[in-house]
Amino acid sequence: MRLLESLKLRSVIWVWNHTPNCAEMSRLTSLSFEQPPSLALRLKMRLHHFICVWCQRYERQLKFLHRASPHTHDHLDQLAVRGLSTEARQRLVQRLRDANH
Amino acid sequence: MEKHGDYLFKFALVRLRDSAMAEDMVQETFLAALKGGDKFAGRSAEKSWLVGILKHKILDHYRKASRETSFTDLEFYSDEESDRFTPDGLFKGGWIHDAGRELGPMEWSSDPGASLDSQAFWKAFHECSNKMPRNVATVFTMREVDGIESKDICRTLNITESNLWVMLHRARMALRRCLETSWFGKQV
Repeated sequence: MRLLESLKLRSVIWVWNHTPNCAEMSRLTSLSFEQPPSLALRLKMRLHHFICVWCQRYERQLKFLHRASPHTHDHLDQLAVRGLSTEARQRLVQRLRDANH
Repeated sequence: MEKHGDYLFKFALVRLRDSAMAEDMVQETFLAALKGGDKFAGRSAEKSWLVGILKHKILDHYRKASRETSFTDLEFYSDEESDRFTPDGLFKGGWIHDAGRELGPMEWSSDPGASLDSQAFWKAFHECSNKMPRNVATVFTMREVDGIESKDICRTLNITESNLWVMLHRARMALRRCLETSWFGKQV
């Protein structure tokens, strides 16, 4: 049992020493949305995920934000952001009338 | 105007954070629509057509503004959550998780996608975006909301690609953390 634990710890340390640390992983995860990482880097990142549930979550959550963000347009009407004021509306209508004549 | 004025104004206001400027953009959009009305010809929904014009107007505004002021912001979140990473030792740079302190990303709900239908989620999302400085929010919106390619953002805003990547990384990091605190942390 102790041998198993020791082997486990050694493999975690080996992976840790051969992959980017978590701070670096957070930067690389964001960067992968801009340019695909090289195969070698992708493998290292995958390997890191084997030993780190936090970086797995980080990547999953950035992917969620990436999927969600384009939908902000669909929810503008529900936001507590004020629309055009009555004065602004009147101003715009007047300017459009002027421009049309 | 009656039908889409409010939506277009909110669309511009969320991006520009300046009501006078947003009003100008809406006006220019309607003027362009009046002039190019024959080009509309019902090819797409009227609202999408107007939003398309407005987006171009806002991009033109950014293009002009970038000649006078810099859009680069490397101050925001410059510590990149360094307080959440182990400062030294064998696991230097790893998320802190020791007795009583779990500072790595927490598990969000089993189905975060369900949040997308919640009005309260979008309120939290909007509030978190609003906490970012304007220039950081601008690059985030262009990239993640409008899906504009990095190279085109750099050309429009006159910023370098490496600075854009830093800003996007920090924006994503800040938004993730803010939503975890204000939304997902309260869902469990």
